[in-house]
Amino acid sequence: MNDGQIIAGFLAPHPPHLVYGENPPQNEPRSQGGWEPLRWAYEHARRSLEELKPDVLLVHSPHWITQQGHHFLGVRNLNGKSVDPIFPNLFRYKFELEVDVDLAEACCNEAADMGLTTKMMRNPNFRVDYGTITTLHMIRPQWDIPVVGISANNSPYYLTTEEGLEEMDILGKATRKAIEQTGRRAVLLASNTLCHYHFHEEPVPPEDMSQEHPQNYAGYLWDMRIIDLLRQGKINEVFQVLPQFIDEAFAEVKSGAFTWMFSAMDYPELPGELYGYGTVIGTGNAVMEWNLIKAGLAKAA
Amino acid sequence: MSVVSAFLVPGSPLPYVQRDNSPWGEIAAAMETAGKALAASEPDLIAIYSTQWIAVLDQLWQTRAVLQGLHVDENWHEYGDLPFDMKIDVEFAELALKKTAEAGIKAKGVDYDHFPVDTGAIVASNFLNPDGNIPLAITSNNVYHDWQMTESLGRVAADSASELGRKLAVIGVGGLSGSIYRHVIDIAEDKIASTAEDDWNKKILSMMEQGDTAALSSACPEYAGAARVDMGFKHFAFILGAIGGRFNSATVHAYGPLYGSGGAVVEFDLA
Ligand SMILES: [Fe+2]
Repeated sequence: MNDGQIIAGFLAPHPPHLVYGENPPQNEPRSQGGWEPLRWAYEHARRSLEELKPDVLLVHSPHWITQQGHHFLGVRNLNGKSVDPIFPNLFRYKFELEVDVDLAEACCNEAADMGLTTKMMRNPNFRVDYGTITTLHMIRPQWDIPVVGISANNSPYYLTTEEGLEEMDILGKATRKAIEQTGRRAVLLASNTLCHYHFHEEPVPPEDMSQEHPQNYAGYLWDMRIIDLLRQGKINEVFQVLPQFIDEAFAEVKSGAFTWMFSAMDYPELPGELYGYGTVIGTGNAVMEWNLIKAGLAKAA
Repeated sequence: MSVVSAFLVPGSPLPYVQRDNSPWGEIAAAMETAGKALAASEPDLIAIYSTQWIAVLDQLWQTRAVLQGLHVDENWHEYGDLPFDMKIDVEFAELALKKTAEAGIKAKGVDYDHFPVDTGAIVASNFLNPDGNIPLAITSNNVYHDWQMTESLGRVAADSASELGRKLAVIGVGGLSGSIYRHVIDIAEDKIASTAEDDWNKKILSMMEQGDTAALSSACPEYAGAARVDMGFKHFAFILGAIGGRFNSATVHAYGPLYGSGGAVVEFDLA
């Protein structure tokens, strides 16, 4: 039980439009497609995940916001219908998921030992947020791998960005320790959009791709700069400019998933593989993978 | 005037789910008192503006005739469930949508099964409309809307009620000061987390009791920033818009802590 390790991390954003564009049976609304380059990027990520054969997927979502500490899904089976409060016209999804409660508890305890406030979510009627569900659907639509769902404590907004991200760094270290202790082969999913400037009106129909492009040119340039650094494995440099990126591009990475994931992976100076970039209602989204097995930083199964 | 009563209430679920904790129980009892006052004003419908219904693209109005279900708060899940069973005045909502658009604010109706009704709207409706007999109108807090736009939404509610000949009760659902305890506390010892914010809350509540709307309108912007007030205190802007910016006085039925943040149950005297 002690060869647990993180085998990969993915930047895996959660615009519900991607689920809408795919028309899976779980989602009620129907579309004529749309956002294909991003959806195809996820197809690539799905194939890679298939090869990785992880025991568990851990996802940190900005749309489960908590004020008293960092919360972890702690009910073995959760199901329901998740309706996106912002895009209810696009995302009304029937979900059913299995939680790796043992690992969730280990993460919760480790983080508490490191000084964070933490809490297990034990209420069986809890509705899992659409960010968690979208990321999980896009990376693994079969829903056959147990998950650990982690809330986004609002510290980067309530405190300063830097103070908040320090908490996420600790959360990442605790997550790594818990994975090692429980012997899991784990994949981490950072459910974050990059530049978050968006249009305030939806086209009709929403999948009219003639209307889809970056909302903000400066934000687009920031995204390209960050992605280029990530592709070169200049992770240190990315984290040096991260607060400025967050401020100037209104980047959703402020909510912490990106920092949590890299901290858990110990900030490897490793080139990320870009599967695709695209905008969704003007925001910038990249699907990227850091495969620690290929890099020789984790063992193959 | 179409508005027959107006209330400011907190949207925290804590008084609802754990009223046997005395700091929160006082607020729960005051919510019930406010509910009785609301019923006594004999409204045909209640308009609820809740800071916790976050919108980004448009101004949203619920247009689904019946909302039923069980909600679990994303932060306070360990305290239990929030059941809800609400009737929406759809005719009113359709007119409010039209008038919101006429006021220059993009508006959209929301009519979806399992749409996540927010904690604040549920708590306000369960306490102040306990039998669910009075139809509701519920509208969102668009984070890009400022004080003035929110006031105009309050006016939209009042005008829509006038046009339909309906008597309207207005509830602005949201907190006062926003500093919270970020760690687990002994809830029996809950208090306002910041003395300066406590002072601010009391100052604002006292201006309300005196009906000093001039002082309030000059103090609110500073209060919103200095006391980290829930969503810039826009829930009060909605009330002011609905009641034409004036009230004689107010009764503070309770003021107290909600995990360090401030909450008050206020009834405005419109007579
Ligand atoms: Fe998001």
